[in-house]
Amino acid sequence: MKKNLKIIGKSHKKLDGKERVSGKAVYGHDIELPNMLHGAILRTKYPCANLISIDTSRAEALGGVECVITAKDIEVSNISFKRDHPVLKNGTVNCNRDEIAAVAAVTKEIANKAIRLIDVKYEVKEGVYDPIEALKEDAPRINEFGKGEEKFGNKNIAETFHYDHGDMEEQKAKSHVIVKKTYELPRVTHACMATSNITAEYSEFDGRLTLWSSTQVPFLYQRDIAHALKMDPSKIRIIQPIIGGGFGSKLDMHPFEPICALLSMKSKKPVQILFSREEEFVLSPTRQPMIITLTTGADEKGKFTFREVDIIKDNGAYTSWGATTPFVMMQTFSSLYQIPACSFDSKAVYTNNPFAGSFRGYGNPQATFALETNIDLMAEELGMSKAEIRLKNANFKGEVTGQGLHFKTCGAIPALEKVLEKSNYDQRATERKEGRYLRGVGLGSMLHVGGGAKIYRSDGCGTTLKLDDYGYLTIITGSNEIGQGSETVLAMIAMEELGIDEDKIKVINTDTDVKPWDVGVHASRTSFVAGNSLLGAIKLIKEKLSKKASELLEIESDSWTYDNGVMLANEQEIKIDKVAREIHFGSPHELCSVTYFYEPPSSFQDKEFKGDVSGNYAFASQAIEVEVDTVTGNIAVLGVHVSQDVGRVLNPVGLQGQMEGGVATGVGYALTEEMIYEEGILKNPSFHGYKILTTTDMPPVHFYPIETYDEAGPYGSKGAGEAPLIPTAAAIANAVSDAIGVRFNSLPITPEKILRALSEKKEKELVS
Amino acid sequence: MDFDVINTTTKDELLTAIEDHQDTNFRIGAGYTDLIMNLRFQPTEGMTLINIAQMKDPSFISIEEQQDHIVLGTLVTASNIVNSPLIKLEFPVLHEAALSVASTQIRNSATVGGNICNASPSADMAGALVALKAVCCVLNSKGEERIEPLASFIVGVGKTSLDKNEVLKSISIPRNSGDQLKSGFEKVGTRNSMEISIVSLAYHFQLDESGKVVDAGVSCGAVAPTIPFAESACDFMVGKDLDGLSETDKEEFAENVLKYATPISDIRASEWYRKEVLFNISQAIFD
Repeated sequence: MKKNLKIIGKSHKKLDGKERVSGKAVYGHDIELPNMLHGAILRTKYPCANLISIDTSRAEALGGVECVITAKDIEVSNISFKRDHPVLKNGTVNCNRDEIAAVAAVTKEIANKAIRLIDVKYEVKEGVYDPIEALKEDAPRINEFGKGEEKFGNKNIAETFHYDHGDMEEQKAKSHVIVKKTYELPRVTHACMATSNITAEYSEFDGRLTLWSSTQVPFLYQRDIAHALKMDPSKIRIIQPIIGGGFGSKLDMHPFEPICALLSMKSKKPVQILFSREEEFVLSPTRQPMIITLTTGADEKGKFTFREVDIIKDNGAYTSWGATTPFVMMQTFSSLYQIPACSFDSKAVYTNNPFAGSFRGYGNPQATFALETNIDLMAEELGMSKAEIRLKNANFKGEVTGQGLHFKTCGAIPALEKVLEKSNYDQRATERKEGRYLRGVGLGSMLHVGGGAKIYRSDGCGTTLKLDDYGYLTIITGSNEIGQGSETVLAMIAMEELGIDEDKIKVINTDTDVKPWDVGVHASRTSFVAGNSLLGAIKLIKEKLSKKASELLEIESDSWTYDNGVMLANEQEIKIDKVAREIHFGSPHELCSVTYFYEPPSSFQDKEFKGDVSGNYAFASQAIEVEVDTVTGNIAVLGVHVSQDVGRVLNPVGLQGQMEGGVATGVGYALTEEMIYEEGILKNPSFHGYKILTTTDMPPVHFYPIETYDEAGPYGSKGAGEAPLIPTAAAIANAVSDAIGVRFNSLPITPEKILRALSEKKEKELVS
Repeated sequence: MDFDVINTTTKDELLTAIEDHQDTNFRIGAGYTDLIMNLRFQPTEGMTLINIAQMKDPSFISIEEQQDHIVLGTLVTASNIVNSPLIKLEFPVLHEAALSVASTQIRNSATVGGNICNASPSADMAGALVALKAVCCVLNSKGEERIEPLASFIVGVGKTSLDKNEVLKSISIPRNSGDQLKSGFEKVGTRNSMEISIVSLAYHFQLDESGKVVDAGVSCGAVAPTIPFAESACDFMVGKDLDGLSETDKEEFAENVLKYATPISDIRASEWYRKEVLFNISQAIFD
């Protein structure tokens, strides 16, 4: 279905680029409302304690303080995915983030000072910081709202998932090699450039609440805020200022958000809460730490037979969306490469650690790291090439997997072949390794949803189009811009289809009182869902335009072309703005405006988690070359070859940006990033201690898109945003093993781990 | 942060400001790349900041070439050092150390005096200067000067020998006797930029025409409360022919360096790693 296009497929600058690079962009931090107060939150000193008393009198007496709230002052519902999280804590505190009181004052300094004047008496308890300890019978119950005992037979289990397909015993019997390994994945964070922020304004006159929030999912957020505050959702208006980084961190609503609203309700003034960088590290969500035990088999010829997966996830003290990451992980285990039998079990276990949330890749980097390492190990045992075993088992077009995912198009093999060729894999993998610097090359592949993911009752997106009397087009879309370039792609689609110049296109997407419904930015879905929704709306507005144009030119045609502000048919032409005016001013007087709602053709999975959950699926492979310095243990990533089935490239420069950003996050996950917690307290809440990589560490990213033209996506495209980081850590770990002959079952692979491994290896060699 | 600021632009203004604040809590600020970070976590009420960033006095701000010494004013920035052809030629160890500091933006602001007076065991420029046997020129509020070797000027983590009425004016580096050198700075860290050394090794060997070491300076960073000058490692090297070093010589040199390491374990690295990597890099500089 490839057709020649003028705009789509050619690099287009971001619509909001100039504002962002010139400092003119208005972020949440820049908002100032008349009489606005500044909020601050008192958090617990200890991650696990009983609260004996809270005395706010000294804070209340401080000049400039307008209100102080604690749990006893508010009438709210528990929040979070499992409704197991009180907005302000009463009785007990369960992790280092726990909110005890909040203050609104005329300046930020006074608010912070007031917080220090609140006197809290604690009875400190011993916390549980290891999920395996928390599962033991004699462990204390960590979350009093958890339903683990009734639902899962253990008081500290927050959520479980079970999935299976195929005849496990038969496949085990066929297996020539079986590899069983346990992997430990660390806690990492998004480290968004803009820290978390919110501004709330409540009107006592009409009972309406306006929130300037950096949520990624405004309509779900509106519902969550309403639930927390026991309000009617429609009385809540969410306005999204420019967001300085999302990456999944803004999927859950967190306590500071209803707290800010409560401060505004009580003080009757607008209130703003801004996080410092330290707060951002301590308080914003993280990727799930997990322990994955993976058993995999293959027959004599290297065909995969089965996978058995057992995962223990550190849920932290409360349950976020992060508890649902097994939805994504089970897709990887059940369906990445052909796999006749799979069984998958996961438990999310309460601990006194901070709760994890959603993070680009949503469990998939963890699953892929475990799986791709096991594949390398099986190849080694079979004496097969690591490329060959992957090619032999790769997914293919037309495949319906054990889980019911239907790959109507599939770029898995072309992507793998491309990175093998471009990285010169066969030659690199057989090179001799000697000297101080040892080089290695590693492979990793991935499968991810490419056409949304039906995990909510609707995975759709609405669009309203308005063509005004002067030929300017306003696109009012349900989708959100969080830096990923959604606005730009939508404008490009409108330019392509309607022949309208960029400077005559406006994209409105920041206000729930104005825009139609959309489930939000997640699951790499925005270009797919919002693009299809816009195309649906364009079809409707074209019907309107062509009908009027036919009337005006007195011709009959159903094949109009739109170019450069003009509509053409039967060798006649008319300006598009004239047609819009005639629709408006001519009888029967209508506006040139349409609304369309797109719901993807995907289906809800059944109780066994089977079903075709996405409109299409993205495949990718990476081949990464590393150089290990055996003197320091440092690992340099020399080059990253990425090939990804994106269906069709919409905006090449935007896509390259996604690839580079994703790889940067993936390299950090593999090598340097880790939140170091001791007894529930974060030890490295700064960019000094938390080693996010800098531009000078960035390896060259060679990107080779694979275009499979999937019918479901706009112009054949697939979602692409999360994929580039998913196989990166796996490929790096495999490359390091290739370089030094040692396997690492945990991330990050630090210089210290390398030197210890090399020194142990040396000792073993000496002994033998 | 809540404090008073006094701006000083001349030596006299600076000395007066120091003299006037002997009974109060004051800090001296130059490049602010460490100080502002530190003040964020300290009470600053009642504090006075004496700002010397705008000083015009050449002895504070210039790199001066003398017969026997190169003198760095305390306000010379890391970027000034990086961009000095003289330093690059005569003291590669200092050039490399300055270049390894944080990022371009921070190097443009961070001063050599601040790097020394902050007295961090992981200070890169200070490490190179210890290896170069640099000497501090300290000025008191009466205008009197005293001289002290850098190696003893830094007395502990965050501590120098400065009295409350003193300020570091400049640092003198003795010039090389010839132009045959093996000089460099090894920085161990996980990032290429914005990194604080986990371990560092500064070395500056002067050679005679036959390639024999006639003078040696070696220091190690982030492995002790101060930045130790590895005297026995230097002694071991004097008289050695660098081209003729055996593997055992390299090992012995590394073992000598390691004698000065009493590292701690912290979130950035363990004691074990710091010792292991210091030994490894000490050996590897001759490969």
